[in-house]
Amino acid sequence: MSKTDDTNLIERCVGGDRKAIETLLVKYEKPVFNAAFRMLDSRDDAMDVTQTVFLKVFENIDHYDPSRRFFSWIYRITLNESINWLGKAKRLQPLKHEAVDEGRSLEQEVDSANLSKGVQAALMAINTDYRTVIVLKHFLGCSYGEIGEILEIPDKTVKSRLYSARQQLKDVLTQSGIH
Amino acid sequence: MAIDQKHLDLINADIDGEIRDSDRRELRAFLAESVEGRALHEELASLCSTLDAVDAIDPPPHMRHVIMSSMKPARTKPESPGFFQKIFAIPALTHSVTFAAGIFLTLSLLHSGQISTGAFDDVTGLVGTIADPIDAEVLGAVAFDKPEVAGKVALRRSGAMLILDMDLVAVRPIEVEADYTDRTIWFNGFAQLESSGTKISAETGRIRLGMDGKRRFAVYLQNKGGRETTVKLRFLAGGKVVHEASLDYMPTR
Repeated sequence: MSKTDDTNLIERCVGGDRKAIETLLVKYEKPVFNAAFRMLDSRDDAMDVTQTVFLKVFENIDHYDPSRRFFSWIYRITLNESINWLGKAKRLQPLKHEAVDEGRSLEQEVDSANLSKGVQAALMAINTDYRTVIVLKHFLGCSYGEIGEILEIPDKTVKSRLYSARQQLKDVLTQSGIH
Repeated sequence: MAIDQKHLDLINADIDGEIRDSDRRELRAFLAESVEGRALHEELASLCSTLDAVDAIDPPPHMRHVIMSSMKPARTKPESPGFFQKIFAIPALTHSVTFAAGIFLTLSLLHSGQISTGAFDDVTGLVGTIADPIDAEVLGAVAFDKPEVAGKVALRRSGAMLILDMDLVAVRPIEVEADYTDRTIWFNGFAQLESSGTKISAETGRIRLGMDGKRRFAVYLQNKGGRETTVKLRFLAGGKVVHEASLDYMPTR
């Protein structure tokens, strides 16, 4: 997550450079989509949230505060949008779509899919604050400091929240026989 | 014996790769003495390796294209709204103008064998907005995600009008064919939202559309007899069928 590269791209985005916009999109679409998916448990909803996140980011790019790191800004928007989405009263049922990686055996694919589904079910069973820190730590690879920056909470709170989140997650995974 | 907060933090920091060397020595000493500490360390390490074994998922292949297509061109300088922008900021007028533009584009692009039958004389069905026909009942919908084309098509009914509501994105030019089985049903209109360039042709029992990029449009079919019908959809890229689907209208007796 290089600040210098992103800063350069953002400057070009502000100037209306579509190539720079696309480069930022290519760089962040997968983590943003994955974070939204892990928060929402629906590919369709994750795609809608991802689209909203990027539109918001690029519409407000000239208001971006360069003292913050870009990834912390975009991840914060992603998590807020996902939480807003969860709060919507009326939602369509998700259309499940499981992509198969042709480079792996069916057995590996099934094991991987089962693990992914089991972990996802456990994530949906814990509260949103806890799910948020787990997503940031384990699916976006953020450090304590980065999680604190994204959520605007002290490192001490990050650590205690992460510990409680893992305890809850462990209980759910143990009950479901995955862990 | 319960583990104190300091050693809990050290265990977590070690698992997360955020422990300092000086703290690592202290943790080792603690773990050598504490059975509970070792159990917790092992338990957390196992949980984290389970979480880290979950693969990242790939976004849908068309998502990038959808986002780029939705992006408005950047303005070089701030502009104050002009007279027309202020007028068109009123939602009802925006919809009316969009709809009128759709009809205008349709008429300019359309070549139809039905014109001579007078089908276009009747424009009573061409009211409202394609974004959300107020009274239109959804009869069925299909969603798909193919490399060449992705999106949703819904069949709606409003009175005697059947509406094919399409929200599609294609990475290269595609053709959409909609065949409807009942020949007494005829093409009654077409409208599209905030886009241009969709080509349409109509003949008895079949509509053909050509499009590229992201498009939202509606095809209106007049079904005065309220007849049962199936709309068969075929999506073609480079002349090859890349997706097929069908939607049914079954009148309630």
